Amino acid sequence: MTRRLAIAGAVDPARPLGFTFDGRHYTGMAGDTLASALIANGVDLVGRSFKYHRPRGILSAGGEEPNALVELRSGARREPNVKATTIELYDGLEARSQNRWPSLRFDLMSLNSLFSPIFVAGFYYKTFMWPAAFWERVYEPLIRRAAGLGRVAAEADPDSYERAYAFCDVLVIGAGPTGLAAAQAAVRAGARVILCDEDFRPGGRLTLERLTISGEAGESWAAAVLAELAASGRVTIMPRTTVFGVYDHGTYGALERVADHLPAPPAHMPRQRLWRIVASRAVLAAGAVERPIGFGANDLPGIMLAGAVRGYINRFGALPGRRMALFTNNDDGWKTVADAAQAGIELAAVIDSRPSPPAELVAQRNAPASASLPAAKYARRSAVSACAPSRSAARMARRPACRSICSLCRAAGIRRLPCSRISASGRPGTGQLPPSCPRPGRAGWSRPVPPPGPSPSPPVWPTACAPALRPHLPAASSPSIVRCPRQRRKPRALSRSGGSRAAGARSSSISSTM
Amino acid sequence: MRIPCPFCGERDAQEFAYLGDATVERPDGDAPDALRAFHAYVYLRANPAGLHREYWHHVGGCRSWLVVTRDTRSHAVTAAELAGRKP
Repeated sequence: MTRRLAIAGAVDPARPLGFTFDGRHYTGMAGDTLASALIANGVDLVGRSFKYHRPRGILSAGGEEPNALVELRSGARREPNVKATTIELYDGLEARSQNRWPSLRFDLMSLNSLFSPIFVAGFYYKTFMWPAAFWERVYEPLIRRAAGLGRVAAEADPDSYERAYAFCDVLVIGAGPTGLAAAQAAVRAGARVILCDEDFRPGGRLTLERLTISGEAGESWAAAVLAELAASGRVTIMPRTTVFGVYDHGTYGALERVADHLPAPPAHMPRQRLWRIVASRAVLAAGAVERPIGFGANDLPGIMLAGAVRGYINRFGALPGRRMALFTNNDDGWKTVADAAQAGIELAAVIDSRPSPPAELVAQRNAPASASLPAAKYARRSAVSACAPSRSAARMARRPACRSICSLCRAAGIRRLPCSRISASGRPGTGQLPPSCPRPGRAGWSRPVPPPGPSPSPPVWPTACAPALRPHLPAASSPSIVRCPRQRRKPRALSRSGGSRAAGARSSSISSTM
Repeated sequence: MRIPCPFCGERDAQEFAYLGDATVERPDGDAPDALRAFHAYVYLRANPAGLHREYWHHVGGCRSWLVVTRDTRSHAVTAAELAGRKP
């Protein structure tokens, strides 16, 4: 079952790539991520949750993915807990779901969810202490087996990693519309610029949305700017590079995934490279992350962020579903109506929890781009709860995603709507975030907070929202811990190394050689 | 952290080795209160929150000894001069 649109944006149908997920063979295209290839192949269930083994699907289209964590590669290169949304597809990619037994569809451990009223957060597992002899032989092995997600490789890492240094006048973090414009302005002013982006395709939201910039299509504007930057000779464009930390005196840490998009690094090529970038100024154009809405069972496969639905349609031509309900509490979510209609997705309903959404948005649902589609049902002042077709865990395990039902709770009662996908876009109401903690940005999106670091020249926020931002950087005058420099200080983000094997390896070598 | 070496320009702190407090001075051994003065010279160190003068050795560069004035709160380096020259 393939769910691929003919009008694919950034994927190349002429270059099919074979890959396996849980041993089954699928075909994706060059330019796909693992997540988009799975969606295009109709795979909705990709993992199990940590504790109750609830079925999990793909929620987002970027690095903010919380659900679709998979085990990548095999043997000595096996890497656990990799976000499927950030893996660039290559020919022969091998991925497996994790935390399930015996299989992803039929996971016996999902029995745990039946006992969820007992196994609450903070449950004391030594409650299983009787009879005493059972603890070591039965309970503890079982509990240990149930805990954790992926498995690390047992063999030594066969790849090499390296360290590199770079210097520039302006470091631009993020190659979306803001980052590209900032890099363009800096280059025109004669500065040496380094432009980093964690994605393998620069453009940020321009690749995921149908946007226009000064009358030009977003993608072609980005291509023109990138061509200008490359021609200037003063810009280093670094795709697949994540800037993870700000250190003293304008030093930035960045991880470049040099060969992670290849089956194995070629001879003499490192797998990853740790950059220490020294920049006079930095522009933090890291973009924003869409907020999900909290509602009942919103972790089930089939529920996806509205912006991610648009991304999979526009960039990858992958259809997240045939029939979809949209649940939003802000104007941004309504953008999905037009993109879904363009892609031929039937909108079962548009549910806006606000008392009075703008009339022009409501009118838009009646005039879909494709006339063959019926107008979507529409409800305001409504809430949503998702549920699987059956409450039994076994049934849920077998048919997790195919018929998520979105229930519309109105004053009159509950309506049930069968659909294969719920697309949700949220923004915090007054009760969710204290007013003293403003998180500006577009409605329904939060900006990532920059990594903390004592820096006399913190990165600048480039947009008009800047005065309202609280980047949570310590002021230069505030007292900080005085460390003894003789004990080689490890950069904080390096020693934390958030799950990346390479970063961990780097940090140990830094502390020993620095 | 970056330290502006008078010979090499601004270099990363990784190239330097830290010696310690540059504000203490070896007392006169013949002075009557020499014992007390030496105790202070060897053991007592101020731990200021603010500007501090300290010795750094440019091991990975010109190998000169520097006195660096650094704000211990923000790591802002305000001066770096050759050691051995009285301010």
